[in-house]
Parts: sequence; structure tokens; C-alpha cells
Amino acid sequence: MKGSVQAARVLPKAVFVLILGLSPMVGAGDLPQRKVKPEQALAIVVNRSNQVDNLSTDELRKIFLGSRSHWPNGRRITIAMLDYEQAERKAALRQIYKMDEDAYRNHFLKEEYRGNVFAVPKTLTSPEVMRKFIFNAPGAIGYLRASDVDESVKVLRIDGRLPDDKDYTLQIDEPL
Amino acid sequence: MQPSTRSPVRHVLAHRWSSVVLLAVLLVQIGIGLVLIRDLHNSHVEVQKIYDGSVHGLHMIGELEYDIQETRRATLYALTTTDGNLQVRYADQSREADRRVTEGILDNLHQAGTAEERNAGMRLQRDWANYLAIRDEVLGLILESSTREAIDLDLSSGVPEFEKVHQDLDAIKRLYDRQASQRVAAVAEFSRLSTMKISAALVFGLLFGTVAIWAVQSIRMRSAVQLANLQMEFVASVSHELRTPVTAILSAGENIRDGLVHDAKCLREQGRIIATQAGHLSDLVSQVLLHAATGKDKPWHDVRVLRVTDVVESALADVTILLQESGITIEREIQAELPLVRGDLSVLSQCLQNLLVNAVKYSGASRSISISARSEATNNRFGVQISVRDYGVGIGDGDLAHIFEPFYRSSRAVASRIRGTGLGLSIAKRSAEAFGGKLTAVSTEGAGSVFTLHLPAVE
Repeated sequence: MKGSVQAARVLPKAVFVLILGLSPMVGAGDLPQRKVKPEQALAIVVNRSNQVDNLSTDELRKIFLGSRSHWPNGRRITIAMLDYEQAERKAALRQIYKMDEDAYRNHFLKEEYRGNVFAVPKTLTSPEVMRKFIFNAPGAIGYLRASDVDESVKVLRIDGRLPDDKDYTLQIDEPL
Repeated sequence: MQPSTRSPVRHVLAHRWSSVVLLAVLLVQIGIGLVLIRDLHNSHVEVQKIYDGSVHGLHMIGELEYDIQETRRATLYALTTTDGNLQVRYADQSREADRRVTEGILDNLHQAGTAEERNAGMRLQRDWANYLAIRDEVLGLILESSTREAIDLDLSSGVPEFEKVHQDLDAIKRLYDRQASQRVAAVAEFSRLSTMKISAALVFGLLFGTVAIWAVQSIRMRSAVQLANLQMEFVASVSHELRTPVTAILSAGENIRDGLVHDAKCLREQGRIIATQAGHLSDLVSQVLLHAATGKDKPWHDVRVLRVTDVVESALADVTILLQESGITIEREIQAELPLVRGDLSVLSQCLQNLLVNAVKYSGASRSISISARSEATNNRFGVQISVRDYGVGIGDGDLAHIFEPFYRSSRAVASRIRGTGLGLSIAKRSAEAFGGKLTAVSTEGAGSVFTLHLPAVE
């Protein structure tokens, strides 16, 4: 008797928890995607003189890995990364490189040793320095929070989407 | 009494002339001073312009040179490191310097006054833009780690373009130098002219001042001499006039004292002489005192409202004996109901008396004179005119202009030994003017004279 009373008390809670737990799975693909907030979106930025407007996720990954070394106009690509422990860098490693710091470091050590890359990515201390670097280097590519972007740089579409578009995939997990 | 053709009026005129000359000297000196001040001011302004232009131009060129060097220096610093952060900082420094250079070039263009300056400024602007395009590319290559390409580009294109910029700047500097030289030459010429002007002004001022001082001193000297002469002549004239009656009185007195008068008839004759000469003496003293009194600028009259007939009758009463002794008849023509006048009866009577005495003296062979009084209106101002006419010798034009001057006596009067002090008409004129009136004279030589006393009517 005592056990049935306890079961009667626990059961509704369990059902509620189960419903909550399953709810993201039920019909998730049919629900409209939310727009990413500018401070949470990772914008891919290039020099304003760059003719490229759009990159696929795959092209973006090849560029950042150093597999693709030149832009279509022949200009050498220079990769700019923000300093260690910055949220944008972590997001780039996770979503573009799909690597952690060690794997990233090893990758470029190996590629540089083999002569597959002309230069390792530049490591810059702040978004402001990143903006200025991209502004000064015509072949540079880097990333910024969408809220840090200004007129001095050009934002690329990734898979046809800009950071303020729906379904933009590159996001920063850590809040500003 | 001796004739006096020189008068105090001339002394007054001489004094006025010296004042006019001194005023003219003062005005000329002020004018010269103003011209000199203007020249000095213009010189100062021109020199200030040169100083401002040169200092500003040199300052601007100096700043441009520094910033141009800074633009290139910061770019080259970026070559010395592989740290992207430092490279960005150097790129920032280079761009900040190039912004200042661009603004400086624009300022220079705005201030360009001549086509040559504008062309030089535009050439610098164009070459600077060309260099910046190469500098941007060099910076990009440095940041992209393409150091070798960056150095090659800088050496092949950057250095020549940079050299062009330097040449443009040198050309602008030379332009400034040339303009400064031209302005300095202009100021030197201006200064030379100013120096000449100042020298001329000083010489002119000294000469003019010397001449003016000499003229003033000369005028004053002449004036003083004239005044002294007049005073001496006055004393001599008065002494002479005094001596005659005094001598007559003295002679009569001595005759009586010495017992030369034996009967009552002779005694009466001597008494008459003494009385007559004493009367002359008294008249002379009165005239001198009256002349002295009318020359003072203070009220000395017993001013009252008078009837013209009273004035005329008073004057006629005083000259009745003279007229009788001279055998001269007088015609009267007094208008009825004349307006009243304001004045001192004794003074106006004396004034008319002087005119009547003169008419008797200068009647010559004529035995009649006339006195008339009538009202007059001039410019809506009413008054009375009292005229004394004689038909005697008249006055020449040369003398007519001077007859109202004190002690003036015509040469004809002197030659004819007509007694007088030369003060009568002067006193009469002053008396008329003391009550707002005037005394005029019209004369024809050989036909007689008309002296008219004009007095304003009492409103």
C-alpha cells in the first residue's frame, strides 16, 4: 500500500520529466530555426577588396587548414586567428577546424614542416587588431563576432548565409 | 596831432596772421605725422604678413616632411617583425601619419594663392596618392608574410614614388622661399620709399617750421614795433594836443600875473581864452578816456529805452555853439513816430555829436549840414537810421577804408590842419556796436559825406 502511494506520487513527475526530455526530438526538424544573435554569430571576414562573396563550409575548412593557399585572383591567403582562450577561437576550432588546440598546433607544425603551407596562421590579440589586420592585408581571412564587425572588413556568406540570416551555422557558445 | 596811417587794427591782424601761421605749421606737422604713422603701420603689416607666411609655410613643410618620413618609417618597421599584432600597430602608425600628410596637402592647396602654388600642391597630392597605393600594397604583403615581395615592391616602386614626393615638397619649399624673397624685396623697396618720405617730411618740416617761426617772429616783431610806434605817436599826439591849450592857458595866466592886462575888457578876453582852451583840454581828455573805456569788454553803459528824438536833440544841444561859431546851418528831417531804441543816452549822443563835429570840420566852403532820422527794415528786423550829411570835402576811397581805425587821420585832414585826435569815428563806431547797431559811411570826394548810425528797434 505504502509502495503504491509512493508510485502514485512519483509517476506524474516522471511522466512530466519524460515529456520535457523528449520534446526537442518530437518534430524538431519542422520547427522554424531561430536567428542567431549578432554577439553569438561567428562572422567570417576578409579584406574589402576581396572578390569572393560566398564560401561553402568545406571550402572554408580547406582555407583555414591551409589546404587551399590562394584566392581565385591569385592572391595568397593569410589566415588570422584570435589569441588562445578567446571564445571566437574556440568556436572556430570546434566548428571550422573540428579540432582542439593540440590537434590544430600539430596540424600546422606538420604542414609547415612538409612545406605544404606558406606561413602558419597569424595570432592576433583582440577583435580590434583582427579588424585592422584584415583591413590592411588584401589576402587575409579571419573571424569575428558579428557584433564586432564594422565597415572596414567584408563578411562572407557561408553556404549562402550571412550571420544575421536564419540557419547560419557558425555560432559562438560562450556568451560575450 | 600827427597823422597816423598805421593802426592797432593792423597789429590785431598781424597777431591773427601769426596764429594762422602757427596753426598751419601745426596742421602740416600733424599731416606729416599721420602719413608717417600710416607708412609705419603698412610696413609693420607687411612684415607681419611675411613673418606669418614664412613661419606658417616653414612649419607646414616641416610637419609634412616629418609625417611623410613617419609614414614610410612605420611601414619599414613592420618589416622588422613577424608578429601580426606589432605589424598592425606599425600599419596604424603609418596610416595615422599618412592621414596627417593628406590633410596637410589639402590645407596647402586651400591656401594656395597663385596658379603655380596650386599646380605644385596638386602635383604633391597626386604623387602622394601614388606612393600611398604602393605603401598599401607593401603593408599588405608584409602582413601576409610576403616579406621578400614587399621589399622588392618597395625598392622598385615605393622608393621612386617617395622620391617624387620629396621633390614635390622641395619644389613647394623653393616656391615659399621665392615668395618670401619677393616679399622681402617689396618690403625693402617700401622701406626705402618710407625712409625717403620720412627724410623729405623731416626736411620739409624743418624748413617749413623754420620759415614759419621766422615769419611769426617777424610778424610779432613788426607788430610790436608798430604797437610801440602807435603808443609813441599816441603819446606824442596827445601831448601835442595838450600842449596847445595848456600853452594858451599858461600865456593868459602869465599875462594876468605879469600885469599886462589893464582893463576889464582885456581881462575878459584872457578869461575867455582860458575857458575856451580849458574846454578843449577837457574835450580831449574826455575823448581819450572815452576811447579807452569803449575798448574794454565790460558793461559800462547806463542802458535804457530811448526815443530817437531825445538822442538827436541831446547831440544837437551840445554842438549848438559850435554850429553858431562856424556859421553852419543844420537841416533836420526827423520822421514822426520813430520806434524806440535801447542804449545809453550820453554815449549815443556823444556818437552823434562826433559825427556832427566832423561834418562841421570837413564842410569846407559849404555852410550847411543835415541830420535825418527814419525807420528801416532789413531782413525783417526793424530799426532806426540816423544820418549826418555834409556837403564838404568828402573822403577819398583810399582813406574811407581806414577812417574807423583809431588815430587814423586822412592826409587831406592833416594837410588842411584840421584839428582832431583821430578817435572820434572810432569811438562812434564802437558806441554803435555796443548797442547792437553799426556805423556806415558813404562819401564822394569833393561832394561830401553821409555817416549813418543804424540802431535796432526795441521789440
